[in-house]
Amino acid sequence: MTRSDIGTITIIYATCALFLYLALQLKAAAQIYPLCLISGLAILNTLYLLRCLWRMYSPASKMRQLINDLPEVFSGFVPLQFFFVVFGAIAYLVLLHYLGFYIAGAIYLVCTLLGLKVRPLPLACTVIVMGALIYGVFTLFLKVPLPGGVLFS
Amino acid sequence: MDTLSLMGAGFLHAMSPLNLFAMALATAVGVTIGCLPGLSAAMGVALLLPVTFGMDPATGLIILGGIYCGAIFGGSISAILIHTPGTPASAATAIEGYQLTLKGEAARALTVACLASFCGGLLSCISLYFFSPPLAQLAMKFKSPEYFWLSLFGLTIIAGVSSKSMLKGLMSGVLGLLISTVGMDPMEGVPRFMFGQSALYNGVDVTCALIGLFSMSQVLMLAERKIRARPAATKFKNKFALSFPEIRRLSPTIIRSWIIGNIIGILPGAGASIACFLGYNEARRFSRHREEFGKGSIEGVAGSEAANNAVTGGSLIPMLTLGIPGESVTAVLMGGLIIQGLQPGPELFTTYAGMTYTFFAGFVLVQFFMLGIGMLGCKGFAQISRLSDAILIPSIFLLCVVGSYAIHNNVVEVVIMLIFGGIGYLARKFDMNATAIVLGLILGPIGERGLRRSLLLSDGDPSILFSTPLCWALIALCALGLLSPLLMGRMERKIAGKAAAPSDRA
Repeated sequence: MTRSDIGTITIIYATCALFLYLALQLKAAAQIYPLCLISGLAILNTLYLLRCLWRMYSPASKMRQLINDLPEVFSGFVPLQFFFVVFGAIAYLVLLHYLGFYIAGAIYLVCTLLGLKVRPLPLACTVIVMGALIYGVFTLFLKVPLPGGVLFS
Repeated sequence: MDTLSLMGAGFLHAMSPLNLFAMALATAVGVTIGCLPGLSAAMGVALLLPVTFGMDPATGLIILGGIYCGAIFGGSISAILIHTPGTPASAATAIEGYQLTLKGEAARALTVACLASFCGGLLSCISLYFFSPPLAQLAMKFKSPEYFWLSLFGLTIIAGVSSKSMLKGLMSGVLGLLISTVGMDPMEGVPRFMFGQSALYNGVDVTCALIGLFSMSQVLMLAERKIRARPAATKFKNKFALSFPEIRRLSPTIIRSWIIGNIIGILPGAGASIACFLGYNEARRFSRHREEFGKGSIEGVAGSEAANNAVTGGSLIPMLTLGIPGESVTAVLMGGLIIQGLQPGPELFTTYAGMTYTFFAGFVLVQFFMLGIGMLGCKGFAQISRLSDAILIPSIFLLCVVGSYAIHNNVVEVVIMLIFGGIGYLARKFDMNATAIVLGLILGPIGERGLRRSLLLSDGDPSILFSTPLCWALIALCALGLLSPLLMGRMERKIAGKAAAPSDRA
């Protein structure tokens, strides 16, 4: 049994618990189908847990301990870069609300590309190409009213 | 209208200037996506799905088909030139293709890949034309209980075959089914799991989920690893041409791989990544120049490329006729159909036959565009394949945001896309199955309607679910779906082992 197995099993049980809580708020007739699915998911998860335990404690097992496979699962993981991209994405959504799609998009692209150490020429090309692409496809062709931003509306 | 007239009308519609322009552009975009290592065909199709919203359904589907075919071929460019398969479907191409590049025969290898992809793709259209209508006829006999079992069959086979662990695959599928219950209850009319968001009234938007699971999760995957410069593509020393004896030598390999790819494509759950190894392996087995394998064999490249492109047409058959996507890309294509308000099944061959045959004709023509663009643009695509992940990460993210926003002009959909991006990332990390989650989402409403309508008709008597021979046939297929991982796993290990052997020796 590995640590990632424990993580998976815990997340699935937590999902079952959340949906179960919400399903019980529904009226009786509407509960049946979701409850069937929740039960199915919980049963499959339990089977998976039992299989992991069996593999760990079966007489043929050589590794009777919890294996830490997280270094393998996350091998090559660069936390600083990953969280920079994730928080950049969140910051972009906040900026999007205030500044609108195009301004926020340009700021996001410049900051992220700088943060990822892209040289000035490819950076400028990327900002121009992406801006032109999105404007051409979504604003001109599909006529999608992209958010203008609270500050400019 | 008979089938021949429909085929003719389909070609006439598909050859409108707008459709031809759309095909050329979509194929070029597909090849670009395919040749970028790390980006898959499913990701590309999901990302560009929103672009097809406002279009005529046939044009929209032709665009998605063009991206699909282009991406599958595009994967071979980086596989041959920099020994990094652009998509998993080109993994076997890299074995022989790169050896040819090392020998200064990159242009020859790319020409073979291009020609084999073209032939494989074109021949796969034949089966698309001939197998789809009879299967659709069979689907006409389906009623509510059959639809319930059909959705269950689709889920069991995909969940079972395409995961390392069948239990995890099934869990992914059921998770998708559970997520599909978000929104208004179709029978009782009460809101379910909506968290007070009116945007969830019609359930989780499949396109948002697709963009999140396939494209946004890819952004996170790219962001987690160190960004490295890709090796420079080799300069082309020889010509983009093949002699007549070479073409004659490749013909049996291409035909063999076409048959293999087609069968693999039609089988739900087995995709292009399996077909390319199978095609490569058979090319080696039947070759008169077996000594060339592992040192740069054009037959090896042709075997792999013809097989993976032959999957494209084959995999559309169960998706269009029964609503069971054969692999992740066809699951995304099915999302494209649903966006246009169309449901896969017999209606596509009756009420919407005109649209369907236009799409088929477009799929045929896309192969010609792929050949032209591939042959003429190889040098350019070779440079594109070196594009840094540092540029791809924010660019794909922006397209994910604008694509998911464009669905209903609603920021809530962007948030949903991001949530699915997180789910997709965790699914990849912990060996869950993103395709099964999507299938659960797509098949969930069909299955729920089938089950609840059946029970309503029988006053709650579950025996209605076992009342017809078709139900029993589908139950048997479900059981087969649960057993198939054992067979597929054994087959995949055997093929991969045999395919790796010559490169190891080299």
